[in-house]
Amino acid sequence: MSFRKRNVGLSTGADRSAAVSSQSAPIESSPGIRPSPDDGRPTTSTGAPSLDNLLAGHAGLPMGKTILIEENGTTDFAGALLRYYAAEGVVQEQKIHVVGVPEQWGRSLPGLIGTAESLEEKRSDRRKDEKMKIAWRYERLGEFGAGVAGSRDPPSQITAAGGESEAKPAFCHAFDLTKRLTHAGISNMSFIPLVPSKDSPFAAILKELQGALLSSPANTIHRIVMPTLLNPTLYPPSASQPEHVLQFFHSLKALMSAYPTRVTAMITIPLSLFPRSSGLIRWIELLCDGIIELCPFPHSADTVATSGAATSVEEPPQGMLKTHKLPVLHERGGGSDQNVGQDWAFTLSRRRFEIKPFSLPPAEGDTEAQDAATPGGMPKKSDLEF
Amino acid sequence: MPSQPPLPPLLTPYLSDLPESSLTVISSVLGATSNWLVLRYLHASLSNTANSNTSPENNGSIGRTSRKVVLVSFMRSWDFWKTEAKRLGLDLARLRDKRQFVFVDGLSELFTPSASAFSTVPVGSANHATLPLRNRPTPVPGRGPPAAGSLDRSAQDRRVQGDASNSVRLHFRGRGTAALDAIEKDIISELHRQRASSDENEELLLIIDQLDLLLAATGPGLGIGATEMADWVMGLQQHAHATVLTIAADSPLIHNAATNVHGDCTPIETEHAALALGLAHRARTVMQLRMLETGAARDVSGVLRISRGGGWNAEAKHSLDEKELLYYIQRDGGLRVFGRGES
Amino acid sequence: MAPSNLSHRRTHNLLLISKLLSLRDTASPFTLLQDSLEQPAAPLVKEYIRRAKLSKVHVTFISYETLKRPDGVDAFISTRRKTPTEIIREASSAYHQGTGTEPVRRRLIIIDSINPLLNSKTLDPGFHLPSFLGSFIAPSASSNGRAEASLVVTYHQDIPSQSQRDHYSPPPLSMLTYLATSIITLHSFSHILARKAARDRSFVPPVFGLEEVQDGVLLSRLDKLAGTGTAEGVVLELEHRRKSGRGVLEWYLLPPASRYSPHHVKEVVTLLDDNVLYNPPKEAETSGGNDEPQSTFELGLTDRQRRDREGVVLPYFDAQQGDGPGEGGRILYDMGEEDDFDEEEDEI
Repeated sequence: MSFRKRNVGLSTGADRSAAVSSQSAPIESSPGIRPSPDDGRPTTSTGAPSLDNLLAGHAGLPMGKTILIEENGTTDFAGALLRYYAAEGVVQEQKIHVVGVPEQWGRSLPGLIGTAESLEEKRSDRRKDEKMKIAWRYERLGEFGAGVAGSRDPPSQITAAGGESEAKPAFCHAFDLTKRLTHAGISNMSFIPLVPSKDSPFAAILKELQGALLSSPANTIHRIVMPTLLNPTLYPPSASQPEHVLQFFHSLKALMSAYPTRVTAMITIPLSLFPRSSGLIRWIELLCDGIIELCPFPHSADTVATSGAATSVEEPPQGMLKTHKLPVLHERGGGSDQNVGQDWAFTLSRRRFEIKPFSLPPAEGDTEAQDAATPGGMPKKSDLEF
Repeated sequence: MPSQPPLPPLLTPYLSDLPESSLTVISSVLGATSNWLVLRYLHASLSNTANSNTSPENNGSIGRTSRKVVLVSFMRSWDFWKTEAKRLGLDLARLRDKRQFVFVDGLSELFTPSASAFSTVPVGSANHATLPLRNRPTPVPGRGPPAAGSLDRSAQDRRVQGDASNSVRLHFRGRGTAALDAIEKDIISELHRQRASSDENEELLLIIDQLDLLLAATGPGLGIGATEMADWVMGLQQHAHATVLTIAADSPLIHNAATNVHGDCTPIETEHAALALGLAHRARTVMQLRMLETGAARDVSGVLRISRGGGWNAEAKHSLDEKELLYYIQRDGGLRVFGRGES
Repeated sequence: MAPSNLSHRRTHNLLLISKLLSLRDTASPFTLLQDSLEQPAAPLVKEYIRRAKLSKVHVTFISYETLKRPDGVDAFISTRRKTPTEIIREASSAYHQGTGTEPVRRRLIIIDSINPLLNSKTLDPGFHLPSFLGSFIAPSASSNGRAEASLVVTYHQDIPSQSQRDHYSPPPLSMLTYLATSIITLHSFSHILARKAARDRSFVPPVFGLEEVQDGVLLSRLDKLAGTGTAEGVVLELEHRRKSGRGVLEWYLLPPASRYSPHHVKEVVTLLDDNVLYNPPKEAETSGGNDEPQSTFELGLTDRQRRDREGVVLPYFDAQQGDGPGEGGRILYDMGEEDDFDEEEDEI
């Protein structure tokens, strides 16, 4: 018993084979697809390893699932996540469909700087001493807080990752937001414009997506990217009518279930225009498979000095991240994930979008005491007595 | 850990023996979905004739009438129900072949104009898949199916996927009650087909999963409101022995309208609240799922509150206790149900 | 409250509710039942039907949400896909068929839920609620003699109503309560008790069901509500408008149907104030000073001290009495010489 994580569950033969047999898919052959360590269904990377790890033990976004990123305020962290997602798709030579934005969007994708593992290698080298050696099978299940990428492949691949990446293609890559992605695949992205129409503005989009999926060979993997859904500068006012937007989401769900192994979607939505307390947004959420809410801290740039970075090496969190729904897990009933109910904080830096457990920073103004205390370890007993 | 029975004894009285023309409403929220409970209803109604894992004599309670089930699902695909039911040891595909079970697909083509090629693609990809699948090493030794078995299975799957396209798909065309009538006709014809193929003492259970979607995605703009939907349900109820509905009861969908006296809310909220509450007034039992108030816990998935609805008949001989229970869905699909403070 | 007052109320108001529920003397042609998920009207409707059967009243049940014909109903009219005019026609023909050659029977018309009608999207814009309801009660021209009809309509309070089609006409609920001659609001007895228990301790009264405003909670009726024991029954809050125009407000308790036989003729409804759980009998005054806290200080008062205390006249005391010079606290001002009194402007 002690040999397994208690809540990971023993996937029994019946369970696993059931999942696999239904996911009749060209999974093994496609790059960027790997079976979930949880139940063997095919998953793909979101382009941000720490987001992959958050997804209920699947270490990736399961195919055929939609993830909705909601963002409060005027920042655009969700846009960064979306760009990672699109860039990862480009690098994996998947077919990207971008809805509603002009083609410039495609030129702003972050530049490739290697595989996610190689980046993590560099990072973890620094703290190799403190890192305990643990069996690889746990590691790939996704361990949080340790700062180690759970999405890592078995050790055999890690050693090979540097040179012979052709032998086993990487699952997730690292990108640099300040660079621009140059890859042959970029020209292959398709941009679906919003055409003004009398009835649903989404009808044309759906038709296009359907056609693309239908006409492409069965081993092509697709990604659907929808930046700032219902943003009034992109979408006509009629788009936010429930009979339009909810029918679209329902049809998208239908499309996903018709091609359960070939397509994923990531959608962002501005919560400052469409608050979560409204019935419309709740229905959109009910129709998506994963819901992630970003709550950026106000003016995080000003408070860098005083916010909760434990050490100067780590960057301070820029906001809170909430998981309201996770793909597959909640469809089954929910609740049994080790990551559910945690408070998460996210940090967007040049090279990564990192999600860590959130801990309250020490009270502001207490920094002196904090600084004084750290070098000497615990304050001496005499300091405490009065 | 010991494996759990598919139906926890605490729940069994609520899942089986639904009285005639009764309505059961399952309400769910975003973080506490109702699929597992629907699966338990399926299991309670279908298992005694279908469960191959347990012998019929120790499972089927004596004298219980066998049932037929029609499942109408607006939010989830046939694949989902089939896979999840298999985890409970229920082979829906086989039951469907035996006409014990009928799936009505309200997802695939409800709003999208039918793409004729939809039906051919899954078959093709299934064909494709058999090759790598067969070469795959069996993931878990011991309990996994032998190679020959998996071959059979994939062959069977292909056939099933082929006839998945044969299952009735609902279409919403036009507007208003006429559009609803067309959907109703499709479902009723399935109910009648089931009725016709069954003998007298077989009870027909109708399960409609998330019919509220139909209202949300159409709404007053298309001439459909809570009254029309409730009427629609009434029409279907007349053709089934008992009816189980699932409906969303998230706070934004209920409380924005129900507790706001100023009428300052959107039509989607008003209509949804009117439908959900109206159905609760008609229901015999309301099974309310929600998350723990105290935040997420590692070994609790949510709270199930079982209440009598407005349609509860005090004189009926079926007694029913109102209860509040905690439940926990394990990774392997097993279910544990327990009272507060127990484990 | 003086005991004589209570017994007077008891006689009068029990007579009134019994008259209303048994539909005698057409005391109330149009009764509105306001219920909620916490306390549905079903038990009360059942009681109406039971009493109607006892006194051979013809019962028409117009169903907006009931699938099966309830027991004891003479005519069951489903309203699915029917216009209001069709419903009226069907209701009147059901009565004429049902009674045929018999002598004139009183009739009871029950509408199980008016909300679907009010929220209907397919309703003709010319639909007029008062005339729809009125047409059931009003004796139709063709009817043989005067049949007394009573209409009992259930309104679910918790179902939100649509925003007004016409912003200047009164909302449907106001219209219903204005038209109704009696309004019965239903409460769950256990909830009433829980609220009262909290109030008696000056706690915030608890809320139930939808009012909890909790994600995923629609209704909260549970068998055993903490602290109330087995409180069964339905509390009826009656607001009745007499023919004279006077209003009556009273709270009653309807015991669960299992407590009496279906053929029970005597009145089963009691006043809520007479209930032992709601209004526990006062402890006899024997306790006196016996169970006052024991301490070395003398906390009690002697009789003499108490008398003296009661004798103290507080400064505002006579201002409250209407008959003294203060006359209820009004300020009196004596006119002086310097005042220039103007007959037309000033008044004292």
